[in-house]
Amino acid sequence: MSNDDAGNIGEFLQGEHEPPSSWLFLVLGFVTTLIFLVLFSILYPGSDLPVISSMLPVFKGVFDSGIWFFIFGVMIGVFAILGTMLTEATSE
Amino acid sequence: MDLITTMLIYWAVIIAVYVMLNRGIWIFTDVSKSMSLFMLEKALGPAIDFAEGRPGSGARAWIMQGMFWLILASAFTFCGLWLDHDPTALHSLGSWGYSPSSETLLLAGNLVALFGAVGMIIIGAGLHIVPSLGETQLASERNAALMSLVWTASVLIIAIGAHEPVLLGLKVLFWGTAVQTLALVGVIVNQLLTAASRTKRMAFPAWLIIIGLLSDPISTVIVFLTGGLETGLGQWLLVRLISGGFFFLQVAGVSLYAASQGTGNPLWSRSLAAVTLLGALLTLNPLGQTTGTLAADLLGFEVASFEPSSKDVIAGSFLMALASIPIIALSSNILVTMRGDDTFMENPDSPGMPEVNLGALMLIPLGIGALFLQTDALTSGNELTGISSTLTLLVVWLLLVPLALGSALCIFPAVTGRNLMSINRSRWAFWMMAGGAFSGLIITLMADFSDMALAEAAVVDESTISNELRAIGSVLFYGTVIGAILHCMNMVNGILRGSFADAQATPSSSSIEPSSYNLTSGTTVRKILASGANLDTEVVPISQTDDPGSPTEL
Repeated sequence: MSNDDAGNIGEFLQGEHEPPSSWLFLVLGFVTTLIFLVLFSILYPGSDLPVISSMLPVFKGVFDSGIWFFIFGVMIGVFAILGTMLTEATSE
Repeated sequence: MDLITTMLIYWAVIIAVYVMLNRGIWIFTDVSKSMSLFMLEKALGPAIDFAEGRPGSGARAWIMQGMFWLILASAFTFCGLWLDHDPTALHSLGSWGYSPSSETLLLAGNLVALFGAVGMIIIGAGLHIVPSLGETQLASERNAALMSLVWTASVLIIAIGAHEPVLLGLKVLFWGTAVQTLALVGVIVNQLLTAASRTKRMAFPAWLIIIGLLSDPISTVIVFLTGGLETGLGQWLLVRLISGGFFFLQVAGVSLYAASQGTGNPLWSRSLAAVTLLGALLTLNPLGQTTGTLAADLLGFEVASFEPSSKDVIAGSFLMALASIPIIALSSNILVTMRGDDTFMENPDSPGMPEVNLGALMLIPLGIGALFLQTDALTSGNELTGISSTLTLLVVWLLLVPLALGSALCIFPAVTGRNLMSINRSRWAFWMMAGGAFSGLIITLMADFSDMALAEAAVVDESTISNELRAIGSVLFYGTVIGAILHCMNMVNGILRGSFADAQATPSSSSIEPSSYNLTSGTTVRKILASGANLDTEVVPISQTDDPGSPTEL
């Protein structure tokens, strides 16, 4: 592009391409997790990461391990699959 | 009876069966064919009416149920790995009468992965591949669909048996195997009838699948008749034979087919496929567990002590070392088939191809690792026993599952008539599964080595490093669980809402490059242009003959 054309560029241009929302959420989740871990290590140095029962005392003695976060993740996935099958089967 | 005598009987029987099936002394006469078909459908009474009989419904039922088991298997394995460093993590479930330990969860995970996920997926894929290669229809779609439910029931029983071996005085694992045998017989008869009605010469992948299926009952009966099931050696031998026959041969068959179909390249070498078939039958596959306890438990026998004679040790070591031949042959055949004329994999984004590529790449390193481990166990050195469990997990999650799953994803459009919902999600699921299994299990392996080193140095203090490594390993393995869920979700959505697969689309369209197009079979100019070629594309005809050395069209 020559300098003579520079005068033509005076307007606001906006593209139509967007990053996929899955990428946005993934990056957002990664950054949030990282911030949480850093913040936790600063505020509570040397402490174990919180589990469900430490945040919700009503579940004390039940969800006393971090494994429950992961098990709930699996359950959400499984129920999402079941939900998809049920809703598709009953859709018109 | 010693090892080599049992193997001689096995070789004689399996080769006789192969020759009878392949070379004309056909065991199925018209009468027995009609009777078998009757047994598959009408004889089952009203039960058969519950199953769907549309083309592809059998394969679809097996593959989809295998996918559901894959989620459970990965979840069991994840929990097992977690409980290895935090044994009381699930103690609250004790109030419901469920108090699993790391060992029981890992055993359940392995059994569900092997028989539920890998077993069902490769049988399902085989139900599509054998009729395709024989250019015929599956003998009974209804029976195939019905047997999938029976097999699923057996896996459920086996999963319960892994936690509670004896319930109400019954050996649960044995009853699970009994139910599974019922379904297996149905599948074998179905596949044999299908092969009997073939209209063309079937390529090797189909024979790998059929012989793999047959090797399971044949090896079990032979080891039983030779009295081996009551000895430690016989139990160990049966695990090796099932590993090399039922799993390795079938996985080889479906992955060779998928490598060709998914990339559009012809199967690179028929000779290597034959070497894979014969090599797997004539050798002892080292991949899998190092003990025979699984065979004893599943068949209801007491676990016997493993006391091989020096002759058995030499013969066993020799046969396991020879197993590297079919392993290398399979790996190279898949990898070169997927790459075709150049060094790059064709269709790398096509669902299933990355999985098959990963499984083929892992065959050799895991095969060598398993060989070291098995030889150590066979010679009673037991210096590597500490990594035995993790190496079995590596074989399951980085070899068997990727090859089986990749093949299922590859044939998914042909089986269901629809494409997967999202190629992007499939790619994500691959990275989650592969990354999770690889990183998680390698770090767990490091923890195993750490424990072994400390045990050798007779250090009494409990190692915190090992526990931390196990914690990291189990968390990373969670990626495999998420990957399995994503894959399953993608397939379920694909069946329900995926775009329709074009029945006329030729997989060879994937082999188009900007400058050339390998024409492997007759096609129209419209299809070539629609596949991305332009007027400057050079069409290169590739002969498809049965001459030795020429590519094999699948």
